[in-house]
Amino acid sequence: MSTQALLVTPAAPIESMLQRFGPPIVILAIVLAVWEFLVWLFDVPPWLLPAPSQVAVRFTRTPTLWYHTGLTILEAFSGFAVSALLGVSLSALIVHSRFMERGVFPYIVVSNSIPIIAVVPLLTIWFGFGLAPKVMIASIITFFPIVTNTTRGLKAADPRILDFMHSINATRSEIFFKVQLPAALPFIFAGFKIAASLSLVGAVVGEFYGSDRGLGYLVITSATQLRTDLLFVSIIVLAALGVGLFTLFGKLERLVIRGEVDTERPT
Amino acid sequence: MSDEGAARAEAPSPLIRMRGVGVVYPSAQGPVNALTGVDLAVADGEFVALLGPTGCGKSTLLRLVSDLLRPTSGQIEVRGQPAAAARRANEFGFVFQEPALLPWRSALENVRLPLEVVDYPASDRQARCESLLEMVGLTRFRGHYPHELSGGMKQRVAIVRALAWNPSILLMDEPFSALDELTKAQLQDDLLDLWASEKKTVLFVTHNISEAVYLADRVVVMSAHPGRIARTVTIDLPRPRTADQRETLPFLALVREAREALRGEPATLTTPTTPTTRAS
Repeated sequence: MSTQALLVTPAAPIESMLQRFGPPIVILAIVLAVWEFLVWLFDVPPWLLPAPSQVAVRFTRTPTLWYHTGLTILEAFSGFAVSALLGVSLSALIVHSRFMERGVFPYIVVSNSIPIIAVVPLLTIWFGFGLAPKVMIASIITFFPIVTNTTRGLKAADPRILDFMHSINATRSEIFFKVQLPAALPFIFAGFKIAASLSLVGAVVGEFYGSDRGLGYLVITSATQLRTDLLFVSIIVLAALGVGLFTLFGKLERLVIRGEVDTERPT
Repeated sequence: MSDEGAARAEAPSPLIRMRGVGVVYPSAQGPVNALTGVDLAVADGEFVALLGPTGCGKSTLLRLVSDLLRPTSGQIEVRGQPAAAARRANEFGFVFQEPALLPWRSALENVRLPLEVVDYPASDRQARCESLLEMVGLTRFRGHYPHELSGGMKQRVAIVRALAWNPSILLMDEPFSALDELTKAQLQDDLLDLWASEKKTVLFVTHNISEAVYLADRVVVMSAHPGRIARTVTIDLPRPRTADQRETLPFLALVREAREALRGEPATLTTPTTPTTRAS
């Protein structure tokens, strides 16, 4: 308890923030300044490469941006949630039944090697132009990393602890909830972090084809209309979302997992 | 080896009895005899060390007694019942070479784990865990996570975890072999204190001759290929055992006897042949 209290106290907040975020901010400022200067110097047309200042202006003058962003987040998150629920449950089944492992795993591997973009038109034929196909694509694309990482995690429990549990006649569910699932948490979170950014990719790819809203739609239309400044805005928002989700899961992981997070485990 | 061959008469009804126990593993090169013809009786409250080289099946023996593994041949009884019944009755406390604690549980929560599984009144768990940790001097560290504890502390937690619900039999698989010499000696004495106060039957696997002699009432010497019991050495040293005893002649003589049994030399040998007596 006392050591934990010590660990929570930050040393010098402002100073350490400066040390951490100062250098990347300086580098970014230099790159943006050079970019701005070169665009001005060579008089580059905005459809080819807009200056950072033009992108910034576009950013503030696109009121529908947040609507599109919200929709993409909704699709990505729904897809992720479905995949997480099904994926973790399937992993639990796989770990408890050799039949399931042998029967299901080959198809999971095969499903991962199908290029998702080829499946999008099919799902559009089946489910139309609404939210459903986007959510499905997001969940299909995130399923593989969640299932493989969770399955690995559920198998990562110390075999001696499993022996100990068996020697005291523990039930399967006691072993699962007291040992296997907590031991799998670092792996599950590793899978979730990969899946979080993939879910965005899934939603956007879904919006590329047959859609009139969402960041994917914004990317496609701004590209075809050569509104390159808007294209940059969309890409920046997507990148920020990806980083945000990754950070969010990192924070969640630290909240959920107690004791030492084993650094040998996958990232 | 017949069934009666090693049946011991000293205890009226042994707590653990193994008769003609063998384990055969299938392998690519054909079946492997991991254990063969093991006859062993362990009395209630007895401290028995299983001593042998790697591959002699001494760890397998613990897994057999605790019903984690079924023998290919022979019978294992605990209190006259099959080992499976004893396992269901939570008779076994297992301690491994590694502490094998749950890293997301504090010391106290690790000790509490078996109490959440066996039928132990929920209202008594906290007090029981606290008194167990006090027994091994870890009261101050009960809220610490395993990575905040030293190797010796972790193994202490593992030992009281195996004692938490008061099982009658303690199965220890080289529990001290990963510890440094000082910590090892300390934990050996702690274990003997616990054994004396808690009245457990202990099966203690080790490859350390001096450790076996220091701790046990009886050292069962095993040999490999196939794994079997080579000889039994009765340790009639007075108790309580103290570190000073390690330098006494009777102790050293027993260490030599066990070592010769390990080498497969005849039991009658009494003259010192080589100056190999090293009491460490």
